[in-house]
Amino acid sequence: MSQTVAAPSAPARTRSDSETRLAGMLVSFEEPGPLMGAAARMKEAGYTRWDVHTPYPIHGLDTAMGVRPTILPWIVFVAGLTGALSGIFLQYWTNATDARNFTFLPTNLQGYDYLISGKPFYSFPANIPVIFELTVLFSALAAVFGMLALNGLPTFHRSLFRSRAFQRVTDDHFFVSVDASDPIFDESTTGGLLAELGGSDVMRVEEPVVQPGMPRWLMAAGVIFACVTLIPLVVIAKARVSKSTEPRIHIWQDMDNQPRYKGQMQNAAFADERAMRPTVVGTVARGDLDALGTDRHRLEGLVDDQWATVFPESLRVTSAFMERGRRQFGIFCAPCHGLDGRGNGAVPARNPDGGREGWAGWVQPTSLHDQSVRDRAVGHLFNSITNGIRTMPPYRDQIEPDDRWAIVAYIRALQKASQADWNEVPAAARQELERRSGKRGND
Amino acid sequence: MANAGTTDLSHENRRLEELGPALALKAQVVGGGALALAVIAGLILGFTGSAGFEAGLSQFFRSYILAIGYVSSIALGALIFVLLQHLTRAGWSVTVRRLAEVVCAAIPWLGILALPVLIPVWLGMEDVYPWTDIDAWDDQTGLLVQKAGYLNPTFFTIRMVLYFAIWSWLARYFYVRSVEQDNTGAELLTTEMQRLSAPGTLLFAITATFFAFDLLMSLTPHWFSTIFGVYFFAGGMVGFFSVLTLMMVYVQRNGRLASAINTEHYHDVGKFLFAFVVFWAYIAFSQYMLIWYANIPEETYWYQARQSTGWWIFVSLLLLFGHFVIPFLALISRFPKRHPKLLVFGALWMLVAHFVDLYYIVAPDANGWLQTGGAGPLHSGLLHLVTDIPAVIGIAGIYLSFVVKFAANHSLVPLRDPRLNEALAFHNF
Amino acid sequence: MATIPLEIDNTQDDPRHRAPLVTGDHDLGTLTETVSRVAEAPRAPLAWYVAFTISAGLTIMLGGLIGYLIMTGVGVWGVNNPVAWGFAIINFVFWVGIGHAGTLISAILFLFRQHWRTGINRFAEAMTIFAVICAGMFPGIHVGRAWLAYWMFPLPNQMAMWPQFRSPLLWDVFAVGTYFTVSLLFWYVGLIPDLATFRDRAKTRVKQIVYGIFALGWNGSMRHWHRYERAYLILAALATPLVLSVHSVVSFDFAVAQLPGWHTTIFPPYFVAGAIFSGFGMVVTLAVPARELFGLKHIITMRHLDNMNKIILATGSIVGYAYSIEFFIAWYGAIPEERFAFISRAFGPYAWAYWIMFSCNAFVPQLFWFRKIRTSIPAMFIISLLVNVGMWFERYVIVVTSLSSDFLPSSWGPYVPTWVDAAMLVGSFGLFFTFFLLFCRYLPMVAMAEVKAVMPHTLKRSAHGDGHAGGAA
Repeated sequence: MSQTVAAPSAPARTRSDSETRLAGMLVSFEEPGPLMGAAARMKEAGYTRWDVHTPYPIHGLDTAMGVRPTILPWIVFVAGLTGALSGIFLQYWTNATDARNFTFLPTNLQGYDYLISGKPFYSFPANIPVIFELTVLFSALAAVFGMLALNGLPTFHRSLFRSRAFQRVTDDHFFVSVDASDPIFDESTTGGLLAELGGSDVMRVEEPVVQPGMPRWLMAAGVIFACVTLIPLVVIAKARVSKSTEPRIHIWQDMDNQPRYKGQMQNAAFADERAMRPTVVGTVARGDLDALGTDRHRLEGLVDDQWATVFPESLRVTSAFMERGRRQFGIFCAPCHGLDGRGNGAVPARNPDGGREGWAGWVQPTSLHDQSVRDRAVGHLFNSITNGIRTMPPYRDQIEPDDRWAIVAYIRALQKASQADWNEVPAAARQELERRSGKRGND
Repeated sequence: MANAGTTDLSHENRRLEELGPALALKAQVVGGGALALAVIAGLILGFTGSAGFEAGLSQFFRSYILAIGYVSSIALGALIFVLLQHLTRAGWSVTVRRLAEVVCAAIPWLGILALPVLIPVWLGMEDVYPWTDIDAWDDQTGLLVQKAGYLNPTFFTIRMVLYFAIWSWLARYFYVRSVEQDNTGAELLTTEMQRLSAPGTLLFAITATFFAFDLLMSLTPHWFSTIFGVYFFAGGMVGFFSVLTLMMVYVQRNGRLASAINTEHYHDVGKFLFAFVVFWAYIAFSQYMLIWYANIPEETYWYQARQSTGWWIFVSLLLLFGHFVIPFLALISRFPKRHPKLLVFGALWMLVAHFVDLYYIVAPDANGWLQTGGAGPLHSGLLHLVTDIPAVIGIAGIYLSFVVKFAANHSLVPLRDPRLNEALAFHNF
Repeated sequence: MATIPLEIDNTQDDPRHRAPLVTGDHDLGTLTETVSRVAEAPRAPLAWYVAFTISAGLTIMLGGLIGYLIMTGVGVWGVNNPVAWGFAIINFVFWVGIGHAGTLISAILFLFRQHWRTGINRFAEAMTIFAVICAGMFPGIHVGRAWLAYWMFPLPNQMAMWPQFRSPLLWDVFAVGTYFTVSLLFWYVGLIPDLATFRDRAKTRVKQIVYGIFALGWNGSMRHWHRYERAYLILAALATPLVLSVHSVVSFDFAVAQLPGWHTTIFPPYFVAGAIFSGFGMVVTLAVPARELFGLKHIITMRHLDNMNKIILATGSIVGYAYSIEFFIAWYGAIPEERFAFISRAFGPYAWAYWIMFSCNAFVPQLFWFRKIRTSIPAMFIISLLVNVGMWFERYVIVVTSLSSDFLPSSWGPYVPTWVDAAMLVGSFGLFFTFFLLFCRYLPMVAMAEVKAVMPHTLKRSAHGDGHAGGAA
C-alpha cells in the first residue's frame, strides 16, 4: 500500500481544506462470483501493486492472483527446532551439569546436577514434556508473528481506509484495488479495465498531499509517560547502592516474625507461668543417661582421678571407629586446626588479625603435632575437647562422648603419621606415595 | 453439493476382474509356503536346540501369535475405519471405503486362522502362556493364582470365539449393505449403517481392548498396563493406513479407479498415517514414561527385560526411530503425502515398523528373565526372527487371498453411495 | 438469495445433502448485522446485567478470599496431611479440563474439516482462555508463599536456583503456560478480521480507535488472507498435539506417582477425553442461554448443539471405558493396595462421590443416544450441567480417595473442606463468568469471517464452491 495518513481509519475526517491527490482506484463487487475472472485479468494485464479484498478467504483466489506460496511454514519449522533445542539445552544445563566445571560463569547462570528420586541427572523421558511444550510455543509464536510481519501488520493508516465504500469489505462487499504507485497505473486505462471486471462502481481513492503530523499533546504525553516510568527504576537503583540503618520494609513476612515463647518469657498456660519448662522431677530425658556420669572413664577421661592413658573398655578402636573420628575431626576440628592438625585451618588463615586494625586477631591454634600435645594422655586430650582449653570452647554439647574418643584416636593417628618412619609405611601405600611423588616432583 | 462437473465414474474400470484370481493364488502360494517354512523352522529348532523339543514348538507358537496379532491389528484397523467413516458421516473417504470393507470382510477367516492359538493354551505350554499351567510354572509371587479366574483356558477360548464372532458380524453387516447399495442405491442402507456405527464402535473398543490383553499382554501375565488396548489399536491403525495406501496404489497401477482416487485422497490417507504415527508415539510414550517414572517392580520388569541385552536395546531404539522419529520427519510435510510413490515407501516402512513393534511385544522372554531375577537369558532375538518373519508373511498372505476373493466380485468403489460425489470433488487446502 | 426456512430442522441426517449450518434468510450483510448487534446495542439484555452483577460480586469475594489466604496461610483450607492437595488441585484440574473444548473445536475440528465448528468456535475459545486463567490461579495460591511463585520459572538468580525439571508439577507450568499462550494467539488471530468489522461499523470515535488498534489495520487483502490461512492451519496443527499434551501432563501429576489409584498407564488419554467431555459440557451450558439471549439461534443452530451432544456422548463413553478398564486392571494387576483403592472408592467412605462421578459421567450422557434428548434444550442444559458436576467429582475422587488412604493404614486421614474451599470454588465461577459476560458484550461472539465462508448462501454462489465439500457433518 502507499503513503499513510495520520487519521486512523476515519474516512469521515477526509479533509477538504487541503489539496488531495489520487492514491489508487477501487472497484466493488456484491458477489464473489466474478472475482476469479477479475483476478486473472488483472494478473494478465501485468499489474503488480494491486489486490483483491474480501470479507472471508476464498480458496483458489490467491492462486488465480498469482500469489506465491508463503514461506511461513519454513519460519515455523526453524522456530520449532529452536524451541526443541532450547528445551533440551535448558534442562540439561540446569539439572545435569556440574557447576564446578563452569566457575568462570556468574553464579546466576551456573547449572548444577542434583539427585531427585534416584533418577539419572539427565533423565530424557522426564524432559520430553518440556521439550515438546517449548517446541510448540516457539512454533506458534513464529506462526502468528511471522504471519503479521509478512503481512506488514499492524499498519493502521492506509489510503484505502479513506473510502467510505471500502468499509464494507469487512461486511459483505468484495473489492479489487490498484495502487497509484503501480508502474503501469494510468487513471483512464486502469479505470477502464476495472470497469470491465464485472463489479459495480469504480471509485477513486483520494488522500491529502500534505500529511498531517503527530499531534503535539500526544508527543508531550509520551515524553511525560516515559519519564514517569523511569522513577521506580531510579528508586530501585538507588536502594541497591545505598546503606540504611533502618530495618528493611517487611512486605512478606515469610514466617520471619512468628509468635513464639523465648527463654524467660511468661506463659499463662502453666501454673508457675514459666514459658521455659523444667524437667520433670525424678526423670532423665531420653539419651541423657550419660548425664548421670557414672562411667567417669568414658565421660570425663579420668581413671582414679588420673588422666586415662587408654581408651574406655566399651570402645574398640577399629578402622570404622577411626573413620568416624576422621569425619568428626573434619567437621569440628579442621576449621581451626586444619585437616592435618598443624593449626592452619581456614578460620585462622582467613582472619590472622581479626579482620580489622586494632583487634587482637584470632589466636593460631596449637599444632596437634607439638611435643606437649603428643605427651598428653588420651584422657587429657578427651578432656580438652570436652571442656575446652585456653581460647578453645568446650564441645561437649556438640559432639557425643564416643565421637570425642574417636577424634582422639584420629589425632593419635595424625601424630603418628607426621613422624612415621618410611619403613613403617605399608608396602602398597609406599608404592602409591612413590608414584605420586615421582609425578609431582618434590611433593 | 457441487454435483455438477464432478468426475463421471461410469467408464471407470472398477473391478479387479482377472487380477483377482491371479493375486489370490499368488498370495496363497506365498503365504502357505511361508507358513510351512515357519513350522519347519520351529521343528528344526525343537530338534536341534539345546532347550529341548518343546522350546522350539513354543517359539513357533509365539511367532504364530505374533502373526495373528499383526494381521488382526490391521484388519481391526480396517473395521474401525469403516465404523468411524459412518459415525462421522465422512464424505471424503467414500472412494476408498470399499477397500477397507473388503479387508475387514475376511475377518471370519482370520478367526479360523487364529484357531491354532488355542493349541498352546490347551496343551499348557507355559513358555507361551505361563498362566495355562500354573502348577508347572514356578511362580513364587502367587499372582497367577489370583488371576486364574480370568486367565484360564476355558474362559480364554470363550472370549476369543466371542471377539471374532462380534467382529465378523460387524464387518459382514457393513460389507453386505455397502455392496447391496451398489445394486439398489438405497439411501436407507447408509442410514442403517450409520445407525449401527455408534454402538458398533463401542463394541469394537471393548472387544479390541480385551483381545489385546488376552492375546498379547497375557504373554507376560505378571505385567499389566491399562493403556495396552489403546496401544494395540494405535499400532493397528498405522498398519491399516499403510495397507490402505498400498491397496490404493496397487489398484490404480493396474488401471482400476484411475479417476475415482486422486491426489487429495492420498493426501488425506497420508495425513491419517502421519496422525497415527504421532498418536502411537504419544501412547507408547505415555506407557513407557509412567512405568519408567513410577518404577514399580511388577510393571518395570517388562521394559527392563527389553533393555537388558544389546540386541533388545537395539530393537527398542529401532522402534523409537523407525516407528516415530524418522517417519515423523518424513511425513510432516505436504509433499510426500501428495506423491503416491513416496507414500508407498512410507507405507512399506511403517508396515515393517509395525512388525518390529509386535516383535518387541511378543518375542522377548520377560517371564524367564523375571524368574531368574534378571540373570537368565532372553530368547535369542535374532533366532526368534527365523520363525517370526515366515509366520507373519504366511498369515498375511493367506489372509490377503481371502481379502482378494471378497474384493473380486464387486466394484472397488461404493458406486451409489450418496456421498460419492463429495469424495470425488473435495480439495485439501 | 438462498432462502432457508427459519425453523428448519437441520438435525435430520439425509446422506444426500449436508445440512445447512446457518438457517434463516441470512446473507453476508445480515450475518454481520446479527452478530455485531450484540456488541453495538446501547444496552445489554436485563439478564446480562443481573448475571454480571452476581459474577462480579463473586469475583470480588474471590479476591478477598485470596487476600485472606495469603495473609493467613493455606491452613484456612481443609488441606491436611495426608490430603495435601484438596480443593485447590481439584479446581485446577477441573478448570484446565473445561479449557480443552475451545482448542479442540478450533484446532482438531478444523483439521477434520468440520464446518459446524465456525458457529461456536469463537466463544468456545474465549471460554478456554478464561477457564485456563481460573485454573492457573489455583496452583499459584496453593504454593503457600504465592509471592515466590516465580521460582517455578527458569530465571537466572543470585541463589543459582533452578527449577527441578524431573517434576511433573513443573511440566504443568510449561504445559499450561504454553497452552494459555497458544490459545490466546489462536483466539486473537481469529478475532482480527472480526475486529476489523467492528472497527468499520463503529459509531463512536473511542470504539473506532480501540477496535482499530486491535484490528491491526486489517483490510481483507487476499494476499493477507493467504498467509493468514496458512498461519491458522499451522496453529491448528500445533494446537492439536498441544491440547492432547496439556491434560496428559496434568495426568502425569498423578500417574507418575506410586499411589494406588493414581498410577495407571491409561491416565493420559483418559484425562484428555475427560477434559474434552467437560469442556463440551461447558460449551453447551453457555451456548444454550447465549443463543437465546443474543438472538443467535440461526447461527448456533440446533445442529451445532446436536453435534456437541454427540461429542459429549462419545467422550463420556470413553471416560466410562477408562473407568471400567481401570477397575479391571486394578483387579487383574493383583496388587493388594491397588485392589483396595478401587474397592474403597466404590464402597468406602467416599462412595457417594464416586457414584456421583460415575453416574454423571458414564451413565447420564448415555441419554444422548436418543435424538429427542439431543435436540431438547432443557434436557441438554441439565445434562451438560450434570456432566460438569460429574467431572468435578471425578477429580475429587482421584485426589481425595487416593491421598486419604494410601499404603499405610496408620497414615490414613479423612478430608473435610472448609467454607473457604467452597467459597473459592464458587468465586472461581464468578471470575469465569465475569470474563465471559464482558466478552459477550464487547467482542464478536461468532467468528463472522469463518461463518461467512460456510454459509449456504456462500457455498452455493462462491467462485470455488467445491472448496470444502469435505465433511460439513
